[in-house]
Amino acid sequence: MRVIAILGRVLDPSGIVVNRRAGRIFINREEYILPPADRCALEAAMRIKDATGCQVVALPRAPFPDDDVLRQALAVGADRAIYLDGHGLDRADDAFMASVLAAAIERLGGADLVLTGATTLDTGWVQLGPRLAEILNWPQILDAWQVTVRDDAAAVQAVVRSDGGYAVVEADMPALLTLVPGALRLRYPNGARLINVYRGVGPVAEALERWEVDALLSERRRPVLEHRGQEFPPERERGVRVRGTPAEMAQIVAEALRQRSGAMGRITPAAR
Amino acid sequence: MEASYLDLLMAQQEEFAEEAAGGGGVWVVADVVNGALAPVTLEAMGLARLLADSLGAYVYAVLLGDGVAGLAQTLYQAGADGVRIADDPFLGRFALEPYLKVLGDLFAQEGPEVVIFGATPQGNELAPRLAQRMNGGLIERVTKATLDEATRTVQGAVPVYGGEYFELLACPEARPQFLTVLPGAFPLPFMDTHRRGEPVSLPVEPVAPRVRLLGTAVGFEPPPLPLRQAPVIVAVGRQAGDLELVRQVAAALGAQLAGDRGAYDAGWIGREQIVDVRGVTVAPQIYLAAGIRGDTFHNAAIEEARYIVAIHPDPEAPIFEVADLCVEAHPAQVLPELLTAIR
Repeated sequence: MRVIAILGRVLDPSGIVVNRRAGRIFINREEYILPPADRCALEAAMRIKDATGCQVVALPRAPFPDDDVLRQALAVGADRAIYLDGHGLDRADDAFMASVLAAAIERLGGADLVLTGATTLDTGWVQLGPRLAEILNWPQILDAWQVTVRDDAAAVQAVVRSDGGYAVVEADMPALLTLVPGALRLRYPNGARLINVYRGVGPVAEALERWEVDALLSERRRPVLEHRGQEFPPERERGVRVRGTPAEMAQIVAEALRQRSGAMGRITPAAR
Repeated sequence: MEASYLDLLMAQQEEFAEEAAGGGGVWVVADVVNGALAPVTLEAMGLARLLADSLGAYVYAVLLGDGVAGLAQTLYQAGADGVRIADDPFLGRFALEPYLKVLGDLFAQEGPEVVIFGATPQGNELAPRLAQRMNGGLIERVTKATLDEATRTVQGAVPVYGGEYFELLACPEARPQFLTVLPGAFPLPFMDTHRRGEPVSLPVEPVAPRVRLLGTAVGFEPPPLPLRQAPVIVAVGRQAGDLELVRQVAAALGAQLAGDRGAYDAGWIGREQIVDVRGVTVAPQIYLAAGIRGDTFHNAAIEEARYIVAIHPDPEAPIFEVADLCVEAHPAQVLPELLTAIR
């Protein structure tokens, strides 16, 4: 059995400062992290490996200038990691990457499960997983909290939110699942593997492969998404005083929270 | 003579209507929650109407579910020129494959120019799969949209890092252009109660869902997030009065409970829940401080919070110097009303 973990990397938000008045983003500390949701996907893959002895392969969710995330995955216990390289990849969007990843999975000889993070940390987008599932014509389970493979290895089961509570759902394999951030806690890397993978020594270092994207795709594809700049909200206005009866004040607070919840994309009772 | 002129005019209009019905248009896929249209669907209708008016196109809404036919007139009132309905017991509970089958067939036939979903669990499942199937572009979690009329391209503003700034994105070459819009981001449209229409029923073929519901996850509790990573925090101070009430507000907001050192001294929270530079510094999207006066150590620990609401009876409380929204009242008076309002 083969489980693919698709992992991203994102600029650590605590290292950046957005100056709304200047309309600029200042990067104080350029440090990239494995996004919380992708950490959960990697941990879910490792737990399936613990239970079934399957092979875990790490693939990047976007073209990276370095292979640090993949080395982290190998240090944690992934069996293989594929670094994708090629020309013009800096503009690659999710539609493009979905086709690249589908081609990479085919070249690997197929897979039984693909796990990835439910959302990206910066934009909160969800589309890579479903787009990949569509290309592969696989069932998808989005926003899973727990993932287990059924004893006969024919189906995967997951815990998802349903009707205000949690439910267990099942899909035949192969299938694609996305994990919500905070669902699982990623284990610490093995010390020896960590040292060897960064020193480039031993089998763990040899497990990191480099593939050319151009060789994977039969036809040249172009990204569909175009970045047209950035926009900055007005300066934060602190100290807005609320006065009135308790009911009036509560209404103002509730409305403010509702707007904020909407911007966060949270599906709270208030937001719906 | 006049009659033949009218006949000619009507024939031309019919031809135009058929042409318009055969392609393009701005489409909204409705989200039905507990038998009613989700507010985000009406907000999407308002956006669709604006875009369609600029494009010179029609607005269509698609309604899927069981017993949803009664909602069609609301969509007409919200600005739809046409409504397509797939009303079938088979669609009563959302499942990806049956919904995809209906929408995939419909859009393959109609060739929409823009398709709008709510950024809800249903929209998040459907929009990327349809976009991939139709080679379309997808801009997610849009909070503002403008139109480049020359190229008929929608440009969407997408919040980054919880709205610290917005990325402006467009899909100039891909058609259809799919959008998911964040709930609460667009205003509700004017509801014209005089608008009415005759919805068109869509065929529903039974397609088995590939994901099976096995039952409730008995005993499952999601793991608590570390306070530092919590997106919403409700913090309690000594002036809060009723701890249980604060807990209920936190539960209603899906927030983590925390507090200041005073709350810890009162035995209301654990040591790991103290928000203080000597305890945990936090950076949530929303920080609601109920009855916290706000000393220097506490206020420094919430500096990175994106939005701070403070409720305290003392107008001179230092917490008001860092809060975005300052409620000068006793929490015991405001919180019950707040609980009612957010529920």
